[in-house]
Amino acid sequence: MARSLVIVGAGPAGMSAAIAAQARGARVTVVDEAARPGGQIYRQAHPALIGDDFAEASERARKERLIGAFERVLDRIEYRTETSAFALFKTGELHIASGSRTEALRADAIILTTGVREIAVPFPGWTTPGVMYAGGAQALLKSQSVLAGRSIVVCGTGPLPIVVAAQILRAGGSVAALATLNSLKVAGWQLPALWSGRELVREGLRYLTTVIRARVPRLTSYVPVRVNGREQVESVVLARVDRRGVVIPRTEREVACDVVAVNYGFTANNELAAMAGITMRHDPPRGGWLPVVDEFGRTSVARIFAAGDAAGLRGALVAEAEGQAVGAAAAADPEEITRPDFRAGLAVALAARERLSAFQDAMQQLLLVPSGLWRLPTDETIICRCENVTLAALRDALTAGYLAPNTIKRVTRAGMGWCGGRTCLHAVSALAELHGAPLAEMMTPRPLARPIPLASLANRAPAGRP
Amino acid sequence: MTDQVADVLIVGAGAFGLSAAWHMAKRRDAARIVVLDEGEFASGATGRNGAGFRMQWGLELNIRLCQESIRFFETAAETLDYPRGIELKQDGYLVLAHSESAFERLESAVRTQHRFGVPSKMLDPDECCRIVPSLGRKGLVGGSFCAEDGSASPFLWLDALLRASRREGVDVRYGTRVESVARSGIGFHVRTRVGTITAGKVLLCTDWAVPDLVAPLGIDIPVVPLPKEILVTAPAPQIVKPILVSLEHRIAVNQVGRGSIVFTVSRARDGRSTESMPDFLSFAAPKIVDLVPGLAHLPVLRAWAGVSSVTPDMQPILGETEIEGLYVAVSSYRGFMTSPAVGRIMAAMVLEGDTNDPVASQLNARRFAAGEMIVEPLLNQE
Repeated sequence: MARSLVIVGAGPAGMSAAIAAQARGARVTVVDEAARPGGQIYRQAHPALIGDDFAEASERARKERLIGAFERVLDRIEYRTETSAFALFKTGELHIASGSRTEALRADAIILTTGVREIAVPFPGWTTPGVMYAGGAQALLKSQSVLAGRSIVVCGTGPLPIVVAAQILRAGGSVAALATLNSLKVAGWQLPALWSGRELVREGLRYLTTVIRARVPRLTSYVPVRVNGREQVESVVLARVDRRGVVIPRTEREVACDVVAVNYGFTANNELAAMAGITMRHDPPRGGWLPVVDEFGRTSVARIFAAGDAAGLRGALVAEAEGQAVGAAAAADPEEITRPDFRAGLAVALAARERLSAFQDAMQQLLLVPSGLWRLPTDETIICRCENVTLAALRDALTAGYLAPNTIKRVTRAGMGWCGGRTCLHAVSALAELHGAPLAEMMTPRPLARPIPLASLANRAPAGRP
Repeated sequence: MTDQVADVLIVGAGAFGLSAAWHMAKRRDAARIVVLDEGEFASGATGRNGAGFRMQWGLELNIRLCQESIRFFETAAETLDYPRGIELKQDGYLVLAHSESAFERLESAVRTQHRFGVPSKMLDPDECCRIVPSLGRKGLVGGSFCAEDGSASPFLWLDALLRASRREGVDVRYGTRVESVARSGIGFHVRTRVGTITAGKVLLCTDWAVPDLVAPLGIDIPVVPLPKEILVTAPAPQIVKPILVSLEHRIAVNQVGRGSIVFTVSRARDGRSTESMPDFLSFAAPKIVDLVPGLAHLPVLRAWAGVSSVTPDMQPILGETEIEGLYVAVSSYRGFMTSPAVGRIMAAMVLEGDTNDPVASQLNARRFAAGEMIVEPLLNQE
């Protein structure tokens, strides 16, 4: 009998895993929260919208090729859109919700391709309406063709702010400034790595050219330190920081804008993996707490696999190659994987993953967030938005000796709100470390990974196998 | 370790352990009091409970324990010098009956409560639904209500006790598991992973884990773990003013000050796991929707479990064991709500040998050997 396989997520890793597993005869179910495949990076426009996603042609070609391949297997797999996976247990039982109904799925294998989400370093005013994640501003463009504001300041680390600024300009928007923390030069000397990712480098340079041609003020080593405006962003104050991330006095520059789009990198969507009791490791530039996986995506818990950025941030191309290998492994019998010909059959995908990972390793330098930046929030700055926990409240707990994430949560309620800590936990951990918290430690994961109404939980379909 | 000698060593820094430590430090300035806990702050049953307190019981001893404790909660912010407060909420507690027999038990309990000055009253289904409009009518026979009952934050209660105890000189150490307790001369050797402490007297406040430490000494404390599973919703406008408990549904509902609603749903379950079980949400959700249909739309944020304890007659065990100087305080799953009074009682008992407290004198473990069982009418025997 064919092996059953549930894949959580329909981004590059999930789509590619589904295609590979289906080709090997597995009965595949893909669950995804979006209405259309693609995940965050290959997010598709609403079908009613005609037009551009303002991406580079080569990037668009990659996206269309993979989504096209996924769409060609749709008649042979089960694809459940607008479906949230909200709990995973070490028994391998996956709980999902769609509409007003919940269901427990059991399968021979589960692949977690849950991706990453953006993070930000809190600064005074960062909760003012108008401050958003850079990727959030990009998502508005990609899916709705909507500009986030009339005059946008884009800032943060890594390549994303450059891409977002360029796409806003191409969509006819106005970028008031582009402030990046790390100079692109930090990755420049790693020539072999850059060569291996030359397609991405070329795209990056084209985005940069768009920004330069539009004469957007570009500020390197500048970060947002304060937002002015009560009901709505009126301006942002940018300041220069040194290598440790400490603000250099008298470098402040105020830029008028109605939106501040900020990205300080990414953290893995690891809730389901942690909930299932999978052994995790801490790797901040790769996305924080990550499931420990082997080359075929196997975790410490039998039958549960992980692939793509959720197993370590390395971008869409690595995710696609890895999805192919992990999809094949999850579709195979456990002993089949140990045979040499199994690996040989995946040689192309495994080599591609290795080559592209080297490029991503070089790009890690761009994503580093120096510890000095964590001195930007002031006493009144809200760190946990759901429970309105300010830095002063957090500091009171830290000073009283509550340093472990679980105890900080109990005393301050940070992480207990609607988002379940998805927004604030990385900040809480970083601030705790500044206060001398010992080794990084994880907050105990609990169901649910998404808020689900009582009525939906009560409206439970009988347990079944996909 | 800083100090290897203690006048009193308390095992367990939950509500019982910390309350006893604070009361002891207040009673005797010079006493060296050490509290050891194997986990981190609030990681045990206190930090996982549903947070309600009530004086609506059917037995004098439970009524008195809770009356004294609620009076303490009311002024805890001042008494413990904890300006942030413990999120005290006194909007009443509505005990619901969905059968005639449960209703009669409530009526008889309310008569007892009135003898001790509890301002409780009986309500018909209309009155219940007026107080809590989201309540379902199905099968509802009525309830009893007391406006002075309520809830507080177990985390802040423990934090207040911890900070106040440390100010009084109590030495509280987390991450310190006690491996064994052994008699030594007129005191005890308490062996931990990181060294041995010599203590004059020992008080065990580890609830269901007490037998682990006393069984090797030949002492029988009959208590077993009682897992409780809990879920909490996103914050909602104030829609459930009092705490609700349904004797038949075995569900307690507490909308805390921030608006989140905490549901404690009981069922027979073995083990000591603090993980939420895979089938819990689908077990609990239909029962909750049945009890309070008006809350069905609320999103559930989190589910967890806590392991409380239960004794053969479901009443606490407070007292000295057969070994002089070795004391136990076992909650039988009402540790949080009774902890202020139990702390005082145990402090008096351990420091001054006072066993004349009318409540404590009934709760020694000897009652089981004598075949005496205390029956609290408002608890379902499980």
